[in-house]
Amino acid sequence: MGLVCRVVEEAGIATVCVSTGRDLTQQVKPPRSLFVNFPMGNAFGAPFDVAMQRAILRAALDLAETAREPGVLVDLPYVWPEAFAFAPGTANM
Amino acid sequence: MKGSPEQSRPPISYVEGLARHYGAMGHPPYQWTVNESAPLHRLRKPVRECRVTMLTSGGISLCSMPGFDPMARNDHRLDEIPVDAGATDFQIHDSYYDHADADRDINCQFPIDRLRELVAAGEIGSLAPRFWSGFMGRIYNRSKVLNESGPQFVAELVRDQVDLLIAVPA
Repeated sequence: MGLVCRVVEEAGIATVCVSTGRDLTQQVKPPRSLFVNFPMGNAFGAPFDVAMQRAILRAALDLAETAREPGVLVDLPYVWPEAFAFAPGTANM
Repeated sequence: MKGSPEQSRPPISYVEGLARHYGAMGHPPYQWTVNESAPLHRLRKPVRECRVTMLTSGGISLCSMPGFDPMARNDHRLDEIPVDAGATDFQIHDSYYDHADADRDINCQFPIDRLRELVAAGEIGSLAPRFWSGFMGRIYNRSKVLNESGPQFVAELVRDQVDLLIAVPA
C-alpha cells in the first residue's frame, strides 16, 4: 500500500497513509503517514466511536495539508484499551 | 479510549510476524522494500477546497461483488466503490487481520460516513465519485505495481480529478 502511495504521489497527487503497522510503514516510507497504535483493521478506532473515527480522519487531513518533509511518519497518541496481538491465519479472521 | 503516554505499548512487529507466517505457509521469504527517501507532492490548496478519495487494502468489497480471496497473494484486483455506498453494503474477506469490528462498522477501517460528514461540514471540498478497495497485501511482484496496476490506478484518480488520496492498509 505504501508503494501505491509512492506511485500516486510521483504522478502528482498527494497521499496520506493511515497505518497500524509502524514497522511496515517505516520500511516502505510512503510520502506521509500517520501511525495509529490500534489493532490492524481498526485504523480509525472502535465500532461506532464516531468521535475517535473523526479525530483520526481529521489528523490525516491535517497531515496532508501541513507535511513539508517527504516520508514523514507521525505517531498519534491514542491508546487502545486492551492488549492486542498479530496472529494471521487464525480463526475468526 | 484516551491517549496516555504511561499506558502506551510498543508497536507490534509485523515484519517479524509476517516472516514467520509466510515461512510456515511455505511461501518464499518476503523481500521487504526498504526506501530511504520518499516523493512529496505538496497540496496546492487547503483540504477544504480539495477533492478527496480513499483506498483500503483490507479485503473490503461490496456485497454485490465477489468477495476478495482472504489468503490472496499477488492479487492486484482493484474495486471501485460508489461514493454513496451504504455503510452496511460491505463484506470483508481477509485472513491477515481481525475484521470483526469492521464487520460491525465499516468506518473502523474505511470511514466513508465520516468523510461524507466532513464534506457536509465544509472541512473537505468534495469527494470523488469513487472510493477504492484493492492491492491486498502479499504482493511479491512489486514491479507490477510500479509499472502496471499502480499507473492504471493513477489514471482513474486523474479521471476523477482527485487532489488527495487517503490510503488505509490492512
